[in-house]
Amino acid sequence: MGNGSWKISRSRGRAHLPLTVVAVLAIFLVLLGKAQSSLFDRARTGVIDWMQPALEASRTPMETMGRWMGSIGNIFWVYQENLKLKEENARLKQWHNTAQVLTERLKRYQLLLNAVPDPALSSVVARVIGRANHPFLQTMILDAGKSHGAKPGQAVVDQRGMIGRVYLTGEHTSWVILLTDLNSRIPVSIEPNTDQAIMSGDNSPMPLIETLARGVELKPDSQVVTSGDGDILPAGIPIGVIVKDGSHYRVALFADQTTAQDVEIVDFKQKPEHPPSVGQQELPVTAAGLAPAAPQPQAATSQVMPVPPPVYKPPLPPGQKPAVVPQQGPANAPVNNAEPGDQ
Amino acid sequence: MERLGGFGSNRVASNVIPVLFGLLGVVITNVPISAFGSWIPAPMYALMPVYYWCLVRPDLMTPGWAFLIGFIHDIVSGEPPGLWAASFVATYAIIDKQRDAFAGLSGFGAILGFATATLVACSAHYVIFSLYHWHLMPVTGSIKEFAVTSILYIPVVVVLAYMHRRFVGPLRSEF
Repeated sequence: MGNGSWKISRSRGRAHLPLTVVAVLAIFLVLLGKAQSSLFDRARTGVIDWMQPALEASRTPMETMGRWMGSIGNIFWVYQENLKLKEENARLKQWHNTAQVLTERLKRYQLLLNAVPDPALSSVVARVIGRANHPFLQTMILDAGKSHGAKPGQAVVDQRGMIGRVYLTGEHTSWVILLTDLNSRIPVSIEPNTDQAIMSGDNSPMPLIETLARGVELKPDSQVVTSGDGDILPAGIPIGVIVKDGSHYRVALFADQTTAQDVEIVDFKQKPEHPPSVGQQELPVTAAGLAPAAPQPQAATSQVMPVPPPVYKPPLPPGQKPAVVPQQGPANAPVNNAEPGDQ
Repeated sequence: MERLGGFGSNRVASNVIPVLFGLLGVVITNVPISAFGSWIPAPMYALMPVYYWCLVRPDLMTPGWAFLIGFIHDIVSGEPPGLWAASFVATYAIIDKQRDAFAGLSGFGAILGFATATLVACSAHYVIFSLYHWHLMPVTGSIKEFAVTSILYIPVVVVLAYMHRRFVGPLRSEF
């Protein structure tokens, strides 16, 4: 095992880069990565797409070995584990029935109130083929990419709750930044008062609750869900429960990021919300019984012509020429509604 | 620059073995299953062949290769580019400077030698990462990574030594 038993070579050859040059190159690379963090994203996704078969091939024996190693200790606890699972199963069945009743009741209430239904969610099931468990980095690689509909920003969940977000997608693979990662920031809502906060990872197993409104006191075991702010993530995805940590609050996650093997990438298609058009009668001035203000002269308001809203023009029947509408704009404004043959 | 042992005429194949083991270490470090769970970080398998062949065959494990293995480690693990590359180069520089001291170690001393190299790599990574994010990181993860990498060097070095004897071999000029 000792290194002293071998003769060592002192020659490094002539055609190799000297150490100083490589060191300068490494420093340059760090600075370049800092300045352009997305510069190597394409290379990264390309390498992972290329390595996908190797990662999947290495997954099976490692999974078998991990399961085998884990089962050695479990053999001694099978009986107790079985009893515990039976008890837990009975309790979960009760909760399942309660959840079904409450879901039906919620649907009835929504119908009665003409409530806006939740946006439709679709999901892609993916397998974890890589997991970076390093001191300052916690990411996953999934075997679903652009070709499967995965996009950056989508939430990744398992059966228990949210795990992280997709932040980079290749053709066949995706990178997921876990909730515990230092760079993770998620807008959350804390029940039952729907207190809004930001949950940020700090590489510890329990992310930190930040930017909570002043004076808000949270109760331990309050459930934390996604708030849906910013229309990036769907609202209501379960994340974990509140745990008091000194003067801070942390979140004990439902999902176990280290054992999750099959996950869902949630595709959230929130339609952009536009404000309703305001009619003349709905203006506050009109509603107050006053006459609406007269439009000001064009020259006094601004020199910039307002862009007219797009108007839908139905297709003309064959042979009919469009009517020429006199333009209100400047004299040099082009008139585009005449056919080329008319000129 | 002829070498003994190995494939004989297939010099290229034996020359790439150190680098291939470095790349294999990168892949194994980033496989999805961890026997230790999340409590202990993945060991730096890629550093082991870099250290080993940097001592016994620096002509095959050059600073450029160490840089490349570190860079691929960055790419595969998802870290900002250059962090592990710079850490590996810094470690290589230390090993290169103290090659006589490191190469003279045997038995438990050899493990301590690798532990020293690992400490350099982990410290360099910690410092560069903290500077990169301008935020002082907790040291617990780095200490665990250092410990688990140093311990796992014991079984891995047996494999590396076998591969070296069987396929790579020392330089003829040294005899």
